[in-house]
Amino acid sequence: MEGKVIVITSGKGGVGKSTTTAAIGAALALEGKKVAVVDMDIGLRNLDVIMGLENRIVFNVVDAAKGKCKIKQAAIKDRKIDNLFLIPASQSDNKNILTPDEMVRLAKRLKHEFDFVLMDCPAGIEQGFENSVAGADEAIVVCTPEVSAVRDADRIIGLLYARSITPKLIINRIVPRMVDNGDMLSHEDVLDVLSIELLGLVEMDDNVVIATNTGASVVHDKISKAGAAFRRIAKRLNGQPDLPIQIPQYQKKFWGKIGKKLGFGR
Amino acid sequence: MADKEADVLGIVQRLFGKEPASKDVAKKRLKFALVYDKLEISDEMLQELQSDIIAVISKYFEIDKSSLKLDIQRSDDLSALVFNTPIIAAKRKNVAP
Repeated sequence: MEGKVIVITSGKGGVGKSTTTAAIGAALALEGKKVAVVDMDIGLRNLDVIMGLENRIVFNVVDAAKGKCKIKQAAIKDRKIDNLFLIPASQSDNKNILTPDEMVRLAKRLKHEFDFVLMDCPAGIEQGFENSVAGADEAIVVCTPEVSAVRDADRIIGLLYARSITPKLIINRIVPRMVDNGDMLSHEDVLDVLSIELLGLVEMDDNVVIATNTGASVVHDKISKAGAAFRRIAKRLNGQPDLPIQIPQYQKKFWGKIGKKLGFGR
Repeated sequence: MADKEADVLGIVQRLFGKEPASKDVAKKRLKFALVYDKLEISDEMLQELQSDIIAVISKYFEIDKSSLKLDIQRSDDLSALVFNTPIIAAKRKNVAP
């Protein structure tokens, strides 16, 4: 059976695309699927350090796409999860070294060997985006609850629609306390503006930073809320599309609850 | 516990109706930004359009100019600019002299 190629994109940089790609890849692999995550940010690779595999790189995605090595040689096995592989970006090449045609061919070969291929798209809407989307069957758009991130997400969604891809949305770095206060766009606000299907809600979580420091995956972290959210997203992608989406909740303190009862606050 | 202080301050400010929730400001800015992006028009043009529309409607109806609201409705395949105004009264057509 053929696998699926999913591009993970956002338009804006710094919203947690690579972290999301690594986490969903790890969670899918823990579900028993054979997964490849591909760093498409040629010249500015990062997925390798996020996954703690930076010192094992020999070949990269450009080598694989140009036929300079076999896919097996470019795919680095994860340290902890047996069926998770990283195909790193090359660090010395120019962004325009790959063409969409080459990526379509590479995607076809990857689909043959893996159940899921996750393309970590670079920020922006230039060549790197074109290449990442070229061979994709599906798309996930990541945004944070900020004006700039949502605006860029809207632009990206439009570009994906133009390629006949209907993307799904992950809202990352939600701070429930601020949403509760009316100081952060809620997921309803974001969905109201973007009107696309929601795939998951991930709250701001210190454990993501801590996991990334050591190159560990946050999905192994049993107490991390973000880790749990990514595991549920993987389940939704892997045959459980109707798994309910949990909304990050603000745990109110005692006085806050009393205040609300008395009609203060909002 | 700076968080808590900020919370209390925010609630107190809102109780006295000082300012709207910042996320509502964000949402409004976002909606308009997306319309500007799509139509490639500026805020200035939108303001002019609004005053032109007021002028046209006022030719036929008496309206409360200050309560005219400009909003954006988005659905899957289209965005609509919506001008909303309460009509106070219809103007009588002037009888020809």
